[in-house]
Amino acid sequence: MKYVALLTNLQEDIDRWAMMTPKEAQAVRAEEVPKWEALFGELGPTGALGAGFELDSPSTAKTVRVRGGETLVTDGPFAETKEQIGGVMELECEDLDQAIAIAARIPVVFRASVELRPVIER
Amino acid sequence: MQYLALIYGDENGWQQLGPDDRNAVMEEYHTFSREGQEARVITGGSELDATSTATTVRVRGDETLVTDGPFAELKETLGGYFVLECDSIDEACSWAAKIPAASHGAIEVRPVNVDEGKPS
Repeated sequence: MKYVALLTNLQEDIDRWAMMTPKEAQAVRAEEVPKWEALFGELGPTGALGAGFELDSPSTAKTVRVRGGETLVTDGPFAETKEQIGGVMELECEDLDQAIAIAARIPVVFRASVELRPVIER
Repeated sequence: MQYLALIYGDENGWQQLGPDDRNAVMEEYHTFSREGQEARVITGGSELDATSTATTVRVRGDETLVTDGPFAELKETLGGYFVLECDSIDEACSWAAKIPAASHGAIEVRPVNVDEGKPS
């Protein structure tokens, strides 16, 4: 079964990262790198990991609506939520339990969350 | 540059549509998808099952907490995304405006980071 894992970050963390100097942000990233490498190293060969996308911060988002033929573009994400999507990973799993086991190892899961959604294949 | 176009809409409205109306919407998506692929703008994407099928995972301490439902309750919910290859966010927004859900829901366009790892 195909799943999409929506990786979220806490908005308060995103705000904190935005206040950091590039050097400080780099140091925070560096702490996380071994966890990501372990995940990719272990799961890569299993074929469970499909395409993945790390998104730029929600402040860089634009939200597009079309109403009455007019395109309305606003700055910022669609919704102001406590947790914000920061990445998307496509998973190929036997079942939901396997997807949950993978989600529980994705580094964002320790502070924010990973939402798993089945993919509709037509 | 790569962008994700996150598609938000009223999933209850979708579920209430009859088969003919659903097919008409699917046809609009096929048209958009074909156009985007021919222009080499759409490079990927997924259609997500309803938020009622969502499972949210958190780990606190040593405990894995699994809850049913999405990470946030929203009136309009994420129903899928397209991966767009565009020269600028403005170009990505003009493609996003062609996504059928843009005319009743909203499309959030986010740049994709090329660097791997977190935080972002």
